[in-house]
Amino acid sequence: MNDTNTINTVMRTLADPTRRAVFERIVQSNETTVSELTQGSGVTQGAISQHIKLLKQAGLIAERPEGRNIYYRAEPAGLAPLVDWLDYYAAFWQDRFGNLRALLKEIDP
Amino acid sequence: MNDPKLMTGMQEIVVDEVFPHAPEIIWKALTSGELMARWVMKPTGFAPVEGTQFTFQTKPAGEWDGVIRCKVLEVIPNERFAYEWKSGHGGNVGYGSLLNTVVTFTLTKVEGGTRLRLVHAGFELPKNHTAFESMSKGWPEVIHNLVASAAGEDPSKN
Repeated sequence: MNDTNTINTVMRTLADPTRRAVFERIVQSNETTVSELTQGSGVTQGAISQHIKLLKQAGLIAERPEGRNIYYRAEPAGLAPLVDWLDYYAAFWQDRFGNLRALLKEIDP
Repeated sequence: MNDPKLMTGMQEIVVDEVFPHAPEIIWKALTSGELMARWVMKPTGFAPVEGTQFTFQTKPAGEWDGVIRCKVLEVIPNERFAYEWKSGHGGNVGYGSLLNTVVTFTLTKVEGGTRLRLVHAGFELPKNHTAFESMSKGWPEVIHNLVASAAGEDPSKN
């Protein structure tokens, strides 16, 4: 459970419905820009930029500057901590089965 | 547990192993409080009787006191043992988030020993946290596809 903070960051970042909508749009486009995301979003370009910044900090998106534009794309690996969280419980039981094997060997050699 | 198909909806953890011991011996290790303490965690108030409530104490997180609240659901000697596993707090995400799960052990006699299958069921992903309750339609699919591509697979094949 060393990655608790990472998991929390990812979950908190995606907890905001507007930010999640921005992330979904980035996922659905191959690559997109802040101005494209702003169009029809009902929020200001400044707000979009702020969401982009947080998504980037959480490792959920990556950027590629080209000329005067910056293109954003989804970073699938950013969701890995959510998988790791379930892995924690899987590892817990694997580990306990190891204990059980040793215990059984001791009580029933 | 990295199968992308398992990323959304209800999840369960399965561990399935064969032990070179008779079911009766394994049963004892599963359902004696003293032996449980030696391989799972030390239970408080445990008795292998349906309806019995007991607890495990683990590391607290946020508003969760670290207590896992359990209730014995099923006791079929040498065959099946199940209990509720409730833990966490709605204010936590990740470790210590709210869990309402069931742990089931099933024993089957096999040649040279016993197959022990553990199913820890009822994990809800990704909406195990209230933060995900307002998730828009299509979101599970988004996660599914992302994780699939992270795993280097073609999501359209799933």
